[in-house]
Amino acid sequence: MKKKVLAVLLGGCMVAGLLAGCGGGSSSTASTDSSSEGSEGGGGGYHFEVVVKSFQSTYWQAAITGVKAAADELGVTVNTTGPNNESDIADQVNMLNNAINQNPDGIALAANSQDAVLESLQSALDAGIPVVCFDTGVPDAPEGSVYATMATDNEAAGAVAAENMYEVIGDYIKNATEPVRIGEVNQDATSANISGRGMGFINKMKELIEADGKTVAVIGNQYYVDQVENNGDEGSADVIIEVAVPAQTTVELSATEASNIMNKEDTIAIFGSNQVTAEGVLTANQNLSVLAATPDEGIVGVGFDAGATIKAAVADGTLVGAVTQAPVDQGKLAIEALYDICEGNEVSDVATDAYWYDAENMEEDTIAPNLYD
Amino acid sequence: MANKTVSKTAGTNNRSFIDRMGGQKFIVILIVIALFILFCAMSPQFRKYTTVVSILDYSYYIALMAIGVTFPLLTAGVDLSIGTGLICYSLIGGYLIVHHDWPTGAGILVTILIGVVFGVINGCLVALMDLPAFLATLCTCMITRGLGSIVVGGYGIPWPTATQPGGWFRNIFKIQMDGMNIPIGFLWIVLLVIIMSFVLNHTKVGRYTLAIGSNKEATRLSGVNVKFYHVFAYVICGFFTGLAAIAYSAIFPTVQPGSGAGFELDAIGGAIIGGVSMTGGVGSITGTFAGVFVICLLKTGLPFIGLTANWQQIITGLVLIASVLIDILNRKKEGK
Repeated sequence: MKKKVLAVLLGGCMVAGLLAGCGGGSSSTASTDSSSEGSEGGGGGYHFEVVVKSFQSTYWQAAITGVKAAADELGVTVNTTGPNNESDIADQVNMLNNAINQNPDGIALAANSQDAVLESLQSALDAGIPVVCFDTGVPDAPEGSVYATMATDNEAAGAVAAENMYEVIGDYIKNATEPVRIGEVNQDATSANISGRGMGFINKMKELIEADGKTVAVIGNQYYVDQVENNGDEGSADVIIEVAVPAQTTVELSATEASNIMNKEDTIAIFGSNQVTAEGVLTANQNLSVLAATPDEGIVGVGFDAGATIKAAVADGTLVGAVTQAPVDQGKLAIEALYDICEGNEVSDVATDAYWYDAENMEEDTIAPNLYD
Repeated sequence: MANKTVSKTAGTNNRSFIDRMGGQKFIVILIVIALFILFCAMSPQFRKYTTVVSILDYSYYIALMAIGVTFPLLTAGVDLSIGTGLICYSLIGGYLIVHHDWPTGAGILVTILIGVVFGVINGCLVALMDLPAFLATLCTCMITRGLGSIVVGGYGIPWPTATQPGGWFRNIFKIQMDGMNIPIGFLWIVLLVIIMSFVLNHTKVGRYTLAIGSNKEATRLSGVNVKFYHVFAYVICGFFTGLAAIAYSAIFPTVQPGSGAGFELDAIGGAIIGGVSMTGGVGSITGTFAGVFVICLLKTGLPFIGLTANWQQIITGLVLIASVLIDILNRKKEGK
């Protein structure tokens, strides 16, 4: 019996080893060096350490593309590290500490935890190493340690979605004789990024519609409704913006919330404010088949972020377009800021743009690098 | 322990109407019908064919997981690794198809096979090495979550869409006819329910699974290879989780690493509502199947009647308490 147990166990271990081996190639923490030729003269040979949130995801690969582009342009060397996973907070702190020990001319950091890095930032300050944050700021950083932050302005990103959606549905709303409905599915009502985006969309859409002389009522999730100023009355408004938040952040529940809105006769457009909810809209559409290019034909869908599924939907016109953040720009700006600091120039926070992309422009050089799989 | 088997045989002459109709199963089916009518009455959006298709779409993976997890539950164990396991197996299978150009059929086989392998691992940990099922499968839950993410390197995996080459597997669950979506997946699930009901009630595997849950020691003393059948319950569970992974990949466009935690609760919840006892030995596949639809109806219906997220969770919790209470009260009555 004992032998059998042992045999089975060994078998299990072998299988586990096999499986781990499969992923081994991509699992080890990666680190790359990138330097530019002929840099020594122009760039003063600065060396920067870059610590990203995770070395694996395509979003971060896009950010690193920007880092390298800036390094080549400015003639500096960079070393990029990052943990396997965005939840590997302790790993990232270790990497940050290692980066500080290298005594570079500057550090660019996308912190996984805003609290866990505070001590390290203090030691960077003590060592006189300037730090620039990108993607995510560290609000409680020790005074003077973080010189600047390059992150997406989520309110503006939501507004970009609203503006571009309004270009498609604006005329329909102006000419509508009966009330129409616009849906928004937000992953949660807790994170600053998502709620900023959600409110950015609502406020911009409300502003645009009211500028055309129509009234707007925002209904649905209480958290978002409470933040709306001068909210209209649902019974009499010309346009209803309905905000839905799924009970859990799964594609399935996002799809259910989206179906509910997309099933309503008066719905003309819907916005999924991140990757999961945009995929929820697409999943709902698998059964409903209502998404269309104009409000006359069906419901106009707009997404957020990238990923293979959303990119494909934008390319074939199922979604009229989507908004992507600018990881490439953020990486680039972070290196440029570090360079400026070393040159003794003033630097300031930059809220990076969010780009609208649709079937027409998604191949363009400014857009394509920001569309990760 | 012993009185569990008693309740099965006791009172055959003197059974209530509900018992004659199939006990808790009957109540659960009534609840399903009542919920459906309620949602239809309250929401015009719900009364649509597409909504029914959506509910079925989203029920396949939960139903398959629930059929599987019924077996460990019947042995008085549990398998918590099915949720993250589902995502892990699907990620690995999909990774081979999308990034290594494997044929879809081979990817599907690998997906199911890894499910079986983890079933064996769970079974060995619980049945041979005597780890508590809760603990052992919680560990494999963590392992599968990490493993899936490592293999794909953080990328979401989009299994081929229905129109892409290799997308045929999506038609297993839904075919298009004259622009209508026909949810044929439901047929396969019903078929599997019938097969597994037979397995549970009329084969050694099923009878011994129930016997282990009722009284493991007595089963062992009567000469049954308890360890083998105990492991086998987890293997069945792993196999069905593999099937659920295919169903999930076929319905949803992208499989995201890091997701899946919480799926197991829908499946286990469905089984418990359907009358599977968490202390083992009592339960049926048809009951589990009906229980799953209580969960699925609540998940889809509550948003449709305009309840926001927090209320949805409160009501789901209350319905779960109610269904389990009915079962307990019923059993107490039988015990007297």
